[in-house]
Amino acid sequence: MSREILPVADKAQVRAYARRLMVKYPRRLSAALALHGLAALSGLAGPALLGGLVQDVADGARDVNVSVIALAIAGFVAAQAVLTRFAVFASSRLGERVLAELREEFVDRVLALPLSTVERAGSGDLITRTSRDVDALSRTVRHAVPEILIALVTGVFMVGALFVVGGPLMAVPSLLAVPLIWISTRWYLNRSGPAYLREGAAYATLTEGLAQTVEGARTVEALGLEDRRRDRTDEDIRGSYAAERYSLSLRTVWFPAVEMGYVIPVVATLFIGGLFYTQDWVTVYQVTAGTLYIQQLVDPLDRLLSWIDELQVGSASMARLLGVANVPDDRAPSGATPDGDAIKAEDVRYAYREGHDVLHGIDLDVRPGERLAMVGPSGAGKSTLGRLLAGIHGPRTGTVTVGGASLVELPLGELRGQVALVTQEHHVFKGTLRDNVLIGRPEADDDAVRQALEAVDAWEWAEKLGLDAEVGSGGVSVSPAQAQQLALARLVLADPHTLVLDEATSLIDPRQARHLERSLAAVLDGRTVIAIAHRLYTAHDADRVAVVEDGRISELGSHEELVEAGGPYAALWDSWRR
Amino acid sequence: MAREQGLPLWLGITYALAWWVAQALIPAALGSGVDAMIDKDVRGLAQWSAVVFALGVVQAVTGILRHRCAVYTWLNAAYKTVQLTSRQATRLGATLPKRLSTGEVVSVGNSDIAHIGNAMDIILRGSGAVVAVAVVTVIMLSASLPLGLLVLIGVPVMALAITPLLKPLHRRQHAQRDLQGDLATRAGDIVAGLRVLRGIGGEQVFADRYRVESQRTRGAGVRVASVESLLEGAQVLLPGLLVAAVTWLGARFALAGELSAGELVSFYGYAVFLIAPLRTLTEAADRLTKGAVAAKRVVRILSLEPEITGGAAQLRHGDLRDEESGVVVREGVVTALAAAIPEEAIAIADRLGRYSDGRVTLGGVPTEDLPKAALRAHVVVADNAAALFAGTLRDELDVRGNGDVEAAVHAACAEDIVDALPDGLDTHVAEAGREFSGGQQQRLRLARALTADPEILILVEPTSAVDAHTEARIAERLAKARAGRATLVVTTSPLVLDRADHVYYVEHEKAVAEGTHRELLTASTAYRSTVTRGEDR
Repeated sequence: MSREILPVADKAQVRAYARRLMVKYPRRLSAALALHGLAALSGLAGPALLGGLVQDVADGARDVNVSVIALAIAGFVAAQAVLTRFAVFASSRLGERVLAELREEFVDRVLALPLSTVERAGSGDLITRTSRDVDALSRTVRHAVPEILIALVTGVFMVGALFVVGGPLMAVPSLLAVPLIWISTRWYLNRSGPAYLREGAAYATLTEGLAQTVEGARTVEALGLEDRRRDRTDEDIRGSYAAERYSLSLRTVWFPAVEMGYVIPVVATLFIGGLFYTQDWVTVYQVTAGTLYIQQLVDPLDRLLSWIDELQVGSASMARLLGVANVPDDRAPSGATPDGDAIKAEDVRYAYREGHDVLHGIDLDVRPGERLAMVGPSGAGKSTLGRLLAGIHGPRTGTVTVGGASLVELPLGELRGQVALVTQEHHVFKGTLRDNVLIGRPEADDDAVRQALEAVDAWEWAEKLGLDAEVGSGGVSVSPAQAQQLALARLVLADPHTLVLDEATSLIDPRQARHLERSLAAVLDGRTVIAIAHRLYTAHDADRVAVVEDGRISELGSHEELVEAGGPYAALWDSWRR
Repeated sequence: MAREQGLPLWLGITYALAWWVAQALIPAALGSGVDAMIDKDVRGLAQWSAVVFALGVVQAVTGILRHRCAVYTWLNAAYKTVQLTSRQATRLGATLPKRLSTGEVVSVGNSDIAHIGNAMDIILRGSGAVVAVAVVTVIMLSASLPLGLLVLIGVPVMALAITPLLKPLHRRQHAQRDLQGDLATRAGDIVAGLRVLRGIGGEQVFADRYRVESQRTRGAGVRVASVESLLEGAQVLLPGLLVAAVTWLGARFALAGELSAGELVSFYGYAVFLIAPLRTLTEAADRLTKGAVAAKRVVRILSLEPEITGGAAQLRHGDLRDEESGVVVREGVVTALAAAIPEEAIAIADRLGRYSDGRVTLGGVPTEDLPKAALRAHVVVADNAAALFAGTLRDELDVRGNGDVEAAVHAACAEDIVDALPDGLDTHVAEAGREFSGGQQQRLRLARALTADPEILILVEPTSAVDAHTEARIAERLAKARAGRATLVVTTSPLVLDRADHVYYVEHEKAVAEGTHRELLTASTAYRSTVTRGEDR
C-alpha cells in the first residue's frame, strides 16, 4: 500500500462542492427530474385501474367496458415507457457532462501541483487517486446519484398516490415499517463504509500479492522463496476472508431487517385495510390499489437503499480528488528579478525530516558558462543540492540565488527560463516522438526538434522511427537509454541558461554516454551545466569538480588540481584508471 | 470445480429454491386475502395476511442464507483459484516468464477469479429460478388455462423481445470501456511524467489533450446511454403491455364469474413476478460462458510443467565449472567475469546457475543430476531483474530467516537507504521497491543476496547503477562479506575487477584470458579497452 502523502479534502469541502455541482445546470437537472416525475406519475395508473376493476368484480357489475380499461392501462404503460426513455437519457447525459468536468478539473489540479510536492511525494498516491478514485467517482455519478434521485422522485409520487387514492387512513399501516428501515439502515451505514474500504483493500492486497509472485517467479525460484510466497498468499486470503466475513455479517443483519420492512407494509395494508373495509371505512378499490402501490414502492426503496453506500464510497473518493487542490503553493513570487546568470549558494542547510540536516552549510559559486561536475558517495546529498540549485526546494537556512534573486521567489515560468533539472528518472509520454521533444518548447518547428535530437546523439534512431512514430504506453517501445536522450533533447529545446543534470546519462552505454556528453557540451557551449555523475570521466571532462561528502563540499577544483592535491578524489581516480 | 464446493453450494441451491418459491407464492396468498376481504371474512383475511407475512419472513430468512452461501461459494472459488495459481507460479519459477506473459497470469487475479466466482454464484440462483418458474406455471395453469398460457408464452416472448437491443448496447459499452481505458492510461501517463511536465513545462498541451479524450469518452458514454435508456423504456413497456393483456383477459373471466377478484390480483402479481427469474436465467447463460473461458485459462496455466528438473545425485561441495566457456567458480575466492558482449556473460551466469541447460559440474558432478532445490540453496544467481517484494524491509532482505541483515546492508553500502526510512529496517516497503531509485534497488538486491549467504553466489552487474565512490566501497566490502565462500561477479567495472582474486575475460563465449585485473590490463588490449570504458583516446 502506498503511503498517503497528499492532503484529503474535509467533509464540508466535499459537501459544498457537491452542492455547487447540483445547481450548476439547473435547467438540465430540473428537466431530467421532471421527466422522471412524469414517468413515475404514469406508472401510478396501473394499480388504480386494476383496483377499480377488482371493485367492479366485487360489486358484481356487468356493464364494465374491460377493453377500454385495458387499453387505458396499455396507454399509460406506453407513456411511462417513453417518458422513462427520455428521463434516463437526459439524466445520463447530464451525468456524463458532470463526470467529464470532474475528471478534467482533477487533471488540471494535478498539473498545477507545486514542483516541490511533485518531486517529494512520489507517484504512488497520485496514481491511486487518478485510477481508483476516478473510477469510484464515475460509478457514483453514473449510477448511484441518478438511481437515488429517481428512487426519491418515484417514491414521493407513490406515497402521494397512496394518500390520494386511499386517503390518509390507508397510509397509516405502511408507517409501521418506517422505524425498522430507518434504524437498521442507519446502523448499517455507520459501519458499512469502513467495512467495504477494508474489504477492497484486503482484496487488492491479495491480487497484488499474486501479481508479485507471478512477476517475480524467477526470483522466487532463485532465492527459494516458494514457501514464503505460499504463506503470503494464504495470509492474504485469511485477511480478505476476515474482511469479507465482517461486511457479510453487517448485511446479515441489515438485509432481513429491510426485507421485513418491505413485507410489513404490504401485510399491514391488506389486513388493516381489510378490517377498515369490513367497517365500510374504505372501499375494495382503495385497499387493492393501496396494497399494489405499497408493493410497487419496494422497487424505488430498494434502489435507494442499495445505492446509498456507493454514495459514501463516492464521497470518500471525491475528498481525495479535491484534496489535491489543498496543497499549498510553494512559491511566493516577491517580484525580485535576476540580474545576471550567476547561481550562488550561501550557507545552505536542508532537512527532509526535522532535525536531520542532509546538507550542512554549503557555499558554492557557480560560474556562468562553466561545466561543474559533482561527485561523491550515495546519500552524501548531491541530488538534494542539485534540486536546491534548480530552485525546486528552498533551503532550510541560507540562500540559493540567480543573479541575486532567490530562486524560490521567482514565478515558475520565470524559473524555467533560468534553470532546469533532468534526473535519471525518465518518462516517455504517450504520443508521437515529436510531441515528446516539443514539451520543452511547444512552438518549436521540426528543424529545431531535429537539432535537439542531434545534440543528444538520438537523431540516428529517431529518424529511423520517424518523428510521427507513436511512442510511450501502447506505442513503439523506447529503451531507457533512448528515453534519457529524449529527456535531454527536451532540455536542449527549452534552452535555459543553467542546466542541472542528475545522473542524466546513467542508463546510456558508457562509451555512448561519453560521446553524447561531448556533443551535448558543444551545443550547450556558453550555458552553465551542473552535472551530478557516477562516472568519473564526466568529472574528468568538466571545468571544475566538487566532491560532496556527508552533506559538505570536501574538495573543489579542476580535475588536475584535485589529482595533484592527492585527496580522496585522487585516490578514487587512481583506482579507476589503473 | 463446482463439485469441490460441496455443502455451501448445495445448501445455497436449497435456500435459493425456497427463496424463489416464497416469492412466487406471495401473489397467490395476496389474491386469496383480497377474496376473503371482499367476502368480509375477517378470519380468512387474518389467515391469508398471516400467510403473506410468513412467506415474507421465509423470503427474508432464506434470502440472506442464500446470499451468505453465495458469498461463501464465490470466495471459495476465488480463493482456491488464487491459491492454485500462486502455488503453480512458485512451482514453475524461472520457467514461468519463458512460457507465459505476466499479463496473462495477472489477469487471473484481476478478472478471472471474479468470473469463476460469478459462475458459481449464478449456478446457485439460476437453479432456484428454474424451479420458481415451474411452480408458478403449475399454479397458473391450474387456476385458468388460457390466462396461464398467456402469461407463460408472454413472459419469454417479452424477455426475448429485449435481446435485439443487447447487441448494440454491448458494442457501445465495449467502445466506451476502450475509450475509458485509454483515458485512464492518459491520466496515468500525465501523473508518471509529472516531474517532467512541472519541471520544464508543457502542462497546457497535456491538459488540452486530456480534455479532448475526456470529451470523446463522454460522447461514448452518451451513446451508451441512448441504447441503455431505450432498454429501460422497453423494460417498462413490454411487461406493462403483458400486464395490460392479463388484466384485460382476467377481468373478462372475473366479470363472467370464472375467476375471483383475488385471483385477478394474483395473476397481475405473477406476470410482474416472472420477469425476475427469467432475467436471472439470461444472466446465467452469460456468466457461465465467461466462467468457462476463465476456468480454461486457469487450467492452461495449471497444466504447465517446469522446464528444468533435477536428478537425485548427492550434492558435494567444490568448484562450479562451466565446461563450454572454461569459467570456474572456485571455493573461497572472488572470481570476476568480464565480457566484451554483456549478453555472453549473462548466458554463462544462467548456465552456471542452471537456469538453462549446459555442461556444468559442481564438485565434479553434472548439475543436471543434482536435486533442484538443493542446487538452488547452494548456488544463488542474483541479477538486476530480480524482484523486490512488499513487506518489512528486514523480512524481505533476510529471505532465509537466519542471515545477518545489518552486515549485508553495510557491505552493500545501503545504510543510507535504511536510515532514510521512518522505521529503518522495520519499515514496510511497497512492491517492486517502487519507492526506491534504480541505484537504491540495486543495492538492496545485493544486500538480500549477501544476507542469504549461499555457498556459491553469482552476482550479475551488481554495481551498474551506483556511483564510483559507492562502487569502490562495495568492491572493498564484498570480498570481506564473502570471505571463505565462492563468489562470481559479472562486471566490467575496473573498481570491482581490481578487487577480485581472479578475473576471466570472455570473448565469443570462451574465456580467452585469465589472471588478475592488473595482469590482464597489460596482457590483453581487448580486455583493456572493454574495462576502461572508452577512456583511451
